[in-house]
Amino acid sequence: MKKLTYSPPPGTAARTVPETSSWISPEGFQLPGRYGASDAEEGLPPAGQFPYTRGPYASMYTVRPWTIRQYAGFSTAEESNEFYRRNLVAGQKGLSVAFDLATHRGYDSDHERVVGDVGKAGVAIDTVEDMKILFRDIPLDQMSVSMTMNGAVLPVMAFFIVAAEESGVSTESLSGTIQNDVLKEFMVRNTFIYPPPPSMRIVSDVIRFASERMPLFNAISVSGYHMLEAGASADLELAYTLADGLEYVKQAITGGLKVDSFAPRVSFFFGIGMNVMTEVAKLRAARTLWAELMAQFNPKNPKSSKLRTHCQTSGWSLTAQDPYNNVARTTIEAISAICGHTQSLHTNALDEALALPTDESATIARNTQLILQQETDISKAVDLFGGSRYLEDLTRKLIQSARSHIREVDEVGGMAEAISRGIPKMRIEQAAAKRQARIDSAQEIIVGVNKYQASSQPQLPVREIDNASVRRLQVKRLEQVKADRDNSRVEESLKHLSAAASEPNGRLLEACIDAARARATLGEISETLVSVFGRHIAVAQSFTGVYASEFTERSTLDEVIQQSDIFFNQTGRRPRILVAKLGQDGHDRGARVIATAFADMGYDVDIGPLFQTPSETARQAIENDVHVVGISTLAGSHKTLIPELIQHLKDLGRGDILVIAGGVIPEQDIGYLKDAGVAEVFGPGTLIPEAAGKLLAILIEKSTLDTP
Amino acid sequence: MTNIDELFVAIREGDRAALARAITLIESRRSDDHAMRLELLELCHTDSTDSLRLAVTGAPGVGKSTLIEGLGLNFIENGAKVAVLAIDPSSTRTGGSILGDKTRMTNLSKNESAFIRPSPSSGFLGGVAEMTRETILLCEAAGYNRILIETVGVGQSESSVSQLTDLVLYVAISGAGDSLQGIKRGILETIHVVAVNKNDGSNERASASFAADLRNSLKLLKGSGPAAEVLLTSALTGNGVHELAQTIERLCHSLKDDDSFQSRRLDQRRLWFDDAVNYLLEQRISSDPRLFELKTALKGKIESEGTNPYAAALSLVNAILGS
Repeated sequence: MKKLTYSPPPGTAARTVPETSSWISPEGFQLPGRYGASDAEEGLPPAGQFPYTRGPYASMYTVRPWTIRQYAGFSTAEESNEFYRRNLVAGQKGLSVAFDLATHRGYDSDHERVVGDVGKAGVAIDTVEDMKILFRDIPLDQMSVSMTMNGAVLPVMAFFIVAAEESGVSTESLSGTIQNDVLKEFMVRNTFIYPPPPSMRIVSDVIRFASERMPLFNAISVSGYHMLEAGASADLELAYTLADGLEYVKQAITGGLKVDSFAPRVSFFFGIGMNVMTEVAKLRAARTLWAELMAQFNPKNPKSSKLRTHCQTSGWSLTAQDPYNNVARTTIEAISAICGHTQSLHTNALDEALALPTDESATIARNTQLILQQETDISKAVDLFGGSRYLEDLTRKLIQSARSHIREVDEVGGMAEAISRGIPKMRIEQAAAKRQARIDSAQEIIVGVNKYQASSQPQLPVREIDNASVRRLQVKRLEQVKADRDNSRVEESLKHLSAAASEPNGRLLEACIDAARARATLGEISETLVSVFGRHIAVAQSFTGVYASEFTERSTLDEVIQQSDIFFNQTGRRPRILVAKLGQDGHDRGARVIATAFADMGYDVDIGPLFQTPSETARQAIENDVHVVGISTLAGSHKTLIPELIQHLKDLGRGDILVIAGGVIPEQDIGYLKDAGVAEVFGPGTLIPEAAGKLLAILIEKSTLDTP
Repeated sequence: MTNIDELFVAIREGDRAALARAITLIESRRSDDHAMRLELLELCHTDSTDSLRLAVTGAPGVGKSTLIEGLGLNFIENGAKVAVLAIDPSSTRTGGSILGDKTRMTNLSKNESAFIRPSPSSGFLGGVAEMTRETILLCEAAGYNRILIETVGVGQSESSVSQLTDLVLYVAISGAGDSLQGIKRGILETIHVVAVNKNDGSNERASASFAADLRNSLKLLKGSGPAAEVLLTSALTGNGVHELAQTIERLCHSLKDDDSFQSRRLDQRRLWFDDAVNYLLEQRISSDPRLFELKTALKGKIESEGTNPYAAALSLVNAILGS
């Protein structure tokens, strides 16, 4: 790897620092808006100067605070549109769209594989007509729009551009961000469609288009958030995110772009966990490392080396138990993001460990930021904690550790290659298994979960989505669009898209925009590309032993192992469980941690492939003749898909196979699931040995009844 | 509780769940299940001659599962029914294991003409070979005629798996430490076909030269007989997988044309007998507390009193015969 240095590119170091306003505190102190380099023990360059450790801009929030950008999307375009408009009135400055899983994976709402996924975890978008409803009465030339889309980025960008065009807004005047970060999908989030090489080509195509036509639009948001959520430690999140960013920059330059034509529009997205100073240090370290990594491309524009980022408080750190505590957690994380100088921020709602937020909880989440912004002194100075020995030391340590992970990636030939070898995914999963073991053995405390448990739980109202009726509405609208359109024009545009995809340098987004104008659907566009590129199937390596070795409460673990031995002696085989996910929900951290932990406690564990239908999972369960199917669900499709699975097992003559469920399941759904035949529901925060033991007790009792 | 005759009828009728439960019975270590297991074996004792039993072996990470998916789908296209028995080595200290094969065979696992059963390798009486042997017979009784047995190529497993199968396919990749020297001579001698997998992208040149090297040394090794065939495959792109399936079918036909197919299976049945004798003796010892104690005591004496192992074995056998 090229030797990296801190030396600033010529012409950037000597810039003058603009004045920031000072303010007078209630104590009467006249306080400057920025403390000079001489005040910081390390003598770091001030904010706004290479390597931007203290902030990308000189004056930071003293002149303009961070953007409050709440990520939301609710089922239908109509509902989401109303929600956005209410929030804009209430002071939100940008909007951020969450799409449903069917859309992410390139399926129309009427596809058989997405029956339980339509309208879950975000808005369903099938055609440009849905997109037009989504942005109705929102002036797209004045509003910055952030869209979390990776797999189906081409049709979604095309729909966005055409929806704007048809409301009289030019492509050039659109501002906002598209996530378009496919590498982390292969690592942690799993909402990919095509194999890695064509997926990387699509990323580059979007970057190219934006560099030509959308000067105000961030064509990529390189995301570490999902790594943090999947269990990555701060240094892993930092290293792999920057290594992903580096891979995109290299690919764009190989594709013929000049670094300064697109690098200023590369943005980042980090997750913020509970360790206050670590998170502040992480953002400072990220800016420093990015500036030094970009130096190898000799950018002339200083903006090319400035890391600008969006942040979101950690959803994983929220608990279903004692959910009001989550307001405190989110506030603490927001403070870290702000002190680390994020450019925009999403704060999670207190009920997000249970379901999508209600209007009330979303309001608290947004107000948390307004309070920090307007009631406190947090915006009054630049790099508040800069110079703190603790912070500077943490920043330095994170930089060093991340550098060594980046070097490892570099040595195997870059991030695309490292991902195809499964290195980062493995590292992150091992970190997640260790973390879970530390929590389950109370080395790490989570208030209300493994210590200070409340004797009673408040009943929170939870947003419920009627998935079937959303699907009916979408299917009806799809039929309408298909009836009204000129099918020969659609066919022609898709043929053109297929031809563009077959050529190595074919312009994909232009072809998709044309198809969108002709009212081709998201599914049709994606299928056309699948027929050229193929569909990616995820393969993950598994490991054992990590959980058990990190778990310090030996006796708890031994108890479960002993029980599994009892079961073994009684039935002649190990307890066998199929850990599966249903539908398009690709968040597999929980499933994979459970799998490795259960194996460490004496279970034989089958891992089901991602994106299965209930009938496919049922077949695997009976072929492997498992005792239990454990469904991990995080996207709210459990009420549709789990009863279906139970029915399939019955139809195959194996109604005796137990079905258990875990993940994000609101309290009020538990009765419904049990009535449908689910043997046990393990909510978030369940200690794994406890679940494994409880399940064994059920199995032992059952086998005693079965044995004459 | 389980009616074996009914179970067997269901297996013959292609009931997936019945076959799965029968395999469980074979995997069971509970002594109550042994009688039923024998009964079941009696029912499907006839050796199917129109089947092909194929071992697929190779180091971890060479892409065996993905290649099996491609091969299996090819066999099915030609009208075959495919059973895949995957022996998973990932047992932990506590006896549990992770069996993730189906994540690598998503298309095959959905196919109506396929049956895939991953089994943990640890904890079977009589060992992996015993269990696999019986499971093959069950799958054949259920009408599957292409039986693919996936094992990880470490230690003795290649030679033991060659004693259960008609053909051995060895999967290798260029580089990554799987050099020619890395393949043990004893393994090479049992192989019929080598697939040099991951022949795609930047790997193509290295794969071709690795394949050429392999061909040369396999020729030297075999002397006058036919050397193992070496093919280039990419489970990722699918290149070479169809050719591999055809090569395997062709080899199968030529084996069946002369007597070698039948005589190999007969040898395997004799070996089964030998294995079974040892196994049943072991069984007898461990189920009889007196014999078990004697065995433990004799073993202890070898260490503590320097007893001659041969003499110790003789007194144990005498005790068995006298009991």
